[in-house]
Amino acid sequence: MISFLLRRVLASVPILIGVSIVVFITIKIIPGDPVASLLGPTSTPEARAALEERLGLDEPLPVQYVQWVWHLLQGDLGTSISKQTQVLGLVLDAFWNTLVLTAFAALLAFALGISLGAVAALRRGKVSAAISNGIALVSISLPQYSVGLLLIIYVATGTGLFPTAGMYSAIGGGGWGDLFSHLVLPGITAALVPAGIIARMFRTTVIDVMSMDFIDALRARGMSERRILLHAFHNTTPTLLTIAGLQLGYLLGGVVFVETVFSWPGIGLLVFQSIAQRDLPVIQAGVIVSALAFVLINLVVDALHATIDPRMRAHS
Amino acid sequence: MATIDVAVNPRFRRRVRTSGTRRRLPTSSRVAGGIVALLLLAALFAPLLTSQSPTVGVLGDRLQGPGAAGHLLGTDGQGRDILARLLYGARPSLLTGMIPVAVAGLLGTAFGLIAGLGKPLLHSVVMRFLDVFYAFPAVLLAIAIAAALGSGSSNAIIALSVILVPPVARVAEAETGRLRNADFMEAARASGSSWFSLAYRQVLPNIAPAVVVYCTALIGLSIVYSAGLSYLGLGIAPPAAEWGLMISDLQQYMFTTPALLIAPALAIVVASVSFNVLGDGLGSYLNVRSETV
Repeated sequence: MISFLLRRVLASVPILIGVSIVVFITIKIIPGDPVASLLGPTSTPEARAALEERLGLDEPLPVQYVQWVWHLLQGDLGTSISKQTQVLGLVLDAFWNTLVLTAFAALLAFALGISLGAVAALRRGKVSAAISNGIALVSISLPQYSVGLLLIIYVATGTGLFPTAGMYSAIGGGGWGDLFSHLVLPGITAALVPAGIIARMFRTTVIDVMSMDFIDALRARGMSERRILLHAFHNTTPTLLTIAGLQLGYLLGGVVFVETVFSWPGIGLLVFQSIAQRDLPVIQAGVIVSALAFVLINLVVDALHATIDPRMRAHS
Repeated sequence: MATIDVAVNPRFRRRVRTSGTRRRLPTSSRVAGGIVALLLLAALFAPLLTSQSPTVGVLGDRLQGPGAAGHLLGTDGQGRDILARLLYGARPSLLTGMIPVAVAGLLGTAFGLIAGLGKPLLHSVVMRFLDVFYAFPAVLLAIAIAAALGSGSSNAIIALSVILVPPVARVAEAETGRLRNADFMEAARASGSSWFSLAYRQVLPNIAPAVVVYCTALIGLSIVYSAGLSYLGLGIAPPAAEWGLMISDLQQYMFTTPALLIAPALAIVVASVSFNVLGDGLGSYLNVRSETV
């Protein structure tokens, strides 16, 4: 098991290097001369050359890349242009808030997705299955900004039950109940697309498992349908784990729109605010932290997968 | 049915299938296809469908609710007719959704063919390269690329194309891999087919249905993302009419005249759902294993 984990960690090193190269490229494709834009059009060539040297921009690209990664490894993600503070602190604070929203949305998405998928698989050919399939297909296609705004208009302001923005109330808030009431609408908005995807994948998995020979064998032994289902669901756990990893990653990135609509103080809102100010270091840091989290989630999923299913350990 | 000639490319075999009833596209997909056609026609003939300007409004008429005289869907903060903006807005909204899928469809298929038919080393180089993109949450990567390039619809198209290539390439590679050792491939190789002719004449026609189905479903996603980039301020510049831009523009009147927001919000939903339902139906019609994005 330990050697399996070690191999998995090692295997994610090239991915991380690739991630850093892609982000570095997004820095380098920024049109215009960064030195000229920092110093202004009236700057002398000497001043430009001096700043270029100080920023290391006179070095060849590979050297610049290595220097950039070296800073990255020390936790130096640069300075925010608009807020003039270290980017790392900004992003980590926001990331925690995003995790809270993501975890809540993931719970909703799994509950809804598994129920829809199970109905679609076990009631095949019936109206209820067709309805489940329809709901799943529509929810995959829903844009989060549309859904979020419609929920604010019709549910939040319509009923007055839920707040429309933020994470805690400004006055008299701060408790778990307050957090929960702020979580409901953004949570639902973020959960709909993953719920649809989970429903479709879970449906396929259940249909596959239910058509396996061991199900017939159990049935032949006279086992009740209820207990057969239990065995079948047990066999869907590896797939469920894989889906969980993918969907958590999707949620981490996809909450940009949700956080923007509901002013949820996470990575997405931070990125949105940075777009208008062209605060690129913050955007890049947000992308790096999300990608890191994504790689980490996949590692954890693989580890869990290997604990549940010994074939995984032998296979890789 | 006994197969007589196992070395025949199934592409040619399909033509002689005689038995069985004709498969039909599910009703839901026909309806969705009809809606897609209507949307495209509306975009094409926008000037014929409305006499009002999508970009110049009458300030005296600003913020009228739906149903106001002369403005079926109301007017926005600058007095522009929302119906006109919706119709004209269909052009950039649908185009910036569809072009990235077309680009990704071509590039992704090329990557998939190269990886799927290449030697093991080439295969792993291409696939590991694509794996890197899977480490990013796709939307965030698109935002980072679009933000770095600067706002504008062509930059949004580039950003979306980049994030859509890897999933298309994976589908194309998986489909190619299933054919790699087929008998008709052996036959073609034995008769001295070049790599290109193998890819173009033998493999491409067989993987095309899967790729096309997958891409059709991707259009829905791509429309949602491209309108999303505009919503965040990374797409087409104001005062142009575009659905995502309309939402971000009308959002400020959400608590005073909320009904105005519904038209653009629903337009994106309808377009995205229609393309997905159409793709889903095409998948079962062409008997392609559907994978979710």
